[in-house]
Amino acid sequence: MKFVINKQISRDSGRLGQLLIQRGEGAGQLQLRTPLLMQTTKGGSIPYLSGNVFEYVSKEQQPLLLQLTLSTMDQMAESLLQYPSGLSAYVGYPGYPNVLLFRDPCETTPSGGNDRDVVPLYTRHGKGSITAQRYMELMDSFAPDLYQGLCDADTNADSSKKRVQKSVDRTERFMDYCYEQHGKLDRLSKSTLLAPIVGGYSTYARTQSIKHARQQPANSFGGYVLEGFHTNGLSATHLEASKLLPIVKHCVTELDDEKPRMMCGAYTPLMILELVRLGVDMFDTSYAYCAAVNYKALTFNFELNDENGCPKQTPFLDITDDTLKEDFRPLVANCSCLACQKHTRAYVHHLYKTNELLGPILLMVHNLHHYMAFFETIHKSMASDKLSELAKLLNADSTADYSIAKNVKVINKAGMGKGFVSATN
Amino acid sequence: MSPSKIPPLTYKVVAECSVSKARAGLMTLRHSEVDTPVFMPVGTQGTLKGVLPDQLIEMNCQILLGNTYHLGMRPGIETLRRAGGLHSFMGWPRAILTDSGGFQMVSLLQLAEIDEHGVKFRSPFDNSECMLTPEHSIQIQNAIGADIMMQLDDVVKTTTTGPRVEEAMERTIRWVDRCIEAHARDDDQSLFPIVQGGLETPLRERCVSALIERRVRGFAVGGLSGGESKDDFWRMVHVCTDRLPRDKPRYLMGVGFAADLVVCVALGIDMFDCVFPTRTARFGCALVDRGQLNLKQQKYKHDMQPIDKECECSTCLRYTRSYLHHIATNESVSCSLLSVHNVAYQLRLMRGMREAVHRNEFPQFVRDFMARHFEGEPLPTWIREALAAVHIELPPDIVDEQAAAQS
Ligand SMILES: [Zn+2]
Repeated sequence: MKFVINKQISRDSGRLGQLLIQRGEGAGQLQLRTPLLMQTTKGGSIPYLSGNVFEYVSKEQQPLLLQLTLSTMDQMAESLLQYPSGLSAYVGYPGYPNVLLFRDPCETTPSGGNDRDVVPLYTRHGKGSITAQRYMELMDSFAPDLYQGLCDADTNADSSKKRVQKSVDRTERFMDYCYEQHGKLDRLSKSTLLAPIVGGYSTYARTQSIKHARQQPANSFGGYVLEGFHTNGLSATHLEASKLLPIVKHCVTELDDEKPRMMCGAYTPLMILELVRLGVDMFDTSYAYCAAVNYKALTFNFELNDENGCPKQTPFLDITDDTLKEDFRPLVANCSCLACQKHTRAYVHHLYKTNELLGPILLMVHNLHHYMAFFETIHKSMASDKLSELAKLLNADSTADYSIAKNVKVINKAGMGKGFVSATN
Repeated sequence: MSPSKIPPLTYKVVAECSVSKARAGLMTLRHSEVDTPVFMPVGTQGTLKGVLPDQLIEMNCQILLGNTYHLGMRPGIETLRRAGGLHSFMGWPRAILTDSGGFQMVSLLQLAEIDEHGVKFRSPFDNSECMLTPEHSIQIQNAIGADIMMQLDDVVKTTTTGPRVEEAMERTIRWVDRCIEAHARDDDQSLFPIVQGGLETPLRERCVSALIERRVRGFAVGGLSGGESKDDFWRMVHVCTDRLPRDKPRYLMGVGFAADLVVCVALGIDMFDCVFPTRTARFGCALVDRGQLNLKQQKYKHDMQPIDKECECSTCLRYTRSYLHHIATNESVSCSLLSVHNVAYQLRLMRGMREAVHRNEFPQFVRDFMARHFEGEPLPTWIREALAAVHIELPPDIVDEQAAAQS
């Protein structure tokens, strides 16, 4: 993998670049534009979407980087050793480059269970414990294009100084082993290792973690994963910019510019813009997923050519809202996604009421389309140096809340079935 | 009222098997042409479990079944009316058939009571007392706007015997007249009566004789596939198709296991529906000629073949049994992937039968299918007898040879 920066006007304007990923001999290389939106997966599949359906969403948008997670795929390691065509093909996305992460950014990772020698791996089957040795064996089985090094990232804004220091120390130990093994393992010879940077919200600890990575020979790893700001799931949508941005800024100034920087999790669109501005290069679609599972359609407006001054921002359409029962409009007017072209709010609301699987499928189709278009706009506005205007647009309505709360609304059965009763009048 | 004078359903037999009663036909409905024999996947609540309408069209699915009882409850007929009917509400441009709601009520609701007026039941939502009459059923089905609708019939348990069966059959005939009378959209929708009569040949014969007097465009055979013996099952189908008119489509309700489909096509049935393919998908099962694979079994963990090498569905083109083993019942996408395959399997089986009838090679198709389906197992006697009744002989030694070859 190679990383090329194409354009960076100033330190605060973000950077447009490309990840170049070498495919097998003679197959050429794939170019992925940064800031890059990785496709979050569960068990190797884009949540709720078959590969067939995802290709309805992503027609014009290839290539895409699949973001796979060990916590949702650990059971597949043994099978992958017997599969000849590689990790992406195994999960139904042949030809797609992939990155393998430890945790699932879509779900809250429980706290605790870390110690000197192991990192807890939370899976469907409960909690397991992974040593650095086991971790590298698993990486060797998966043979991903990119993968992260093992770390203790169980920190957030509330973590004590002592806890943060532990995460740095343990991560150093794990990484010493990962660096050593990375060069030795056969199936990883074409893989790129990403160095995890931990240290919570402490500049001191972050500096130490970065120093450890930068001490390694330059070619021992290919990029950075900034970890330990949140515990995944909805927690990432609730971060305070005033806390997160200074610490990210601190890290970015200390990281070397030549390597891409990844931050995983459901950061809000506003936060994404600020992180892009700071020079973070890789994000994922977990925000689109977190909205969809809570029956929210993404509706925030990112059309820069809108001339209506200070438009009202409504980040979401709440599909559980009973006023949608006979709202035969698309989720978002003029949206070109399959869900909006062929279906209505009333129908998606009906699918929610009846607890039908097609509900989250259509929401995922729309939310991914919306979020991918948002990233497209980020690229365009960076190329024309309009990133701050885009941020202004998203910020135009100070009451707009982009964070996602758990939708606790339970299906209220009373009051349903009235249509049938009225048929008998 | 209708924009055209063409009736909302025309049916023509395109090819007939020269040996059995199997036939291939073309049914033209307002929303789609339908090649018969056809399997209709069940989209109970205005959606086929986890499958997009576009995917169904890609699989060349031409007609779906919707359940009147569920749709009448949610979203309700007022919403459906305002949406312009179910086609528009769910974004499905092709044909739809709806049941009457009666069967669902009797099977889902323990408190349903039937009298001459209709089916009395308590709403599962607010426990209020409701009554579904033949008129109401038609009113709801008119709002749904399906291409084909079913009369409300008097449903008794398949295994019921005695005078209640005759009463239900007679009442079903009385109710079809009330349904026809209540039907307000005969220019767009076609109403099928339902042949009842339990497991008694004379009752089935009387019912068919009465129903073919009515001005209808097709017929359903009901009251089967509910726990009766297979022997009774095929004989009742045989009795009905012997007497139903050749130039109208025949729909056997609730039948969808592969072997049953093949036998009943041989007996002259044109339309089928069943929830089984999508229901079994939810439990991680994939349909193949041999029966079904339970992909959760350990033996598939490292099996790098597709579910079925012959299958061209989007699941088989992309995924291995091994991957499906890992995600089946764990990731909800597995339900979509297996539903797609299972529906594709049913559609492919039906296409195979249509093509065999066209080539006049249907008996050979049946023999080949049964050999694959019961590979190494004795062929059930009822299948042998049912097929013999329509002159398709299965080699008696086929099973023994296969078994010998296996050991
Ligand atoms: Zn949309």
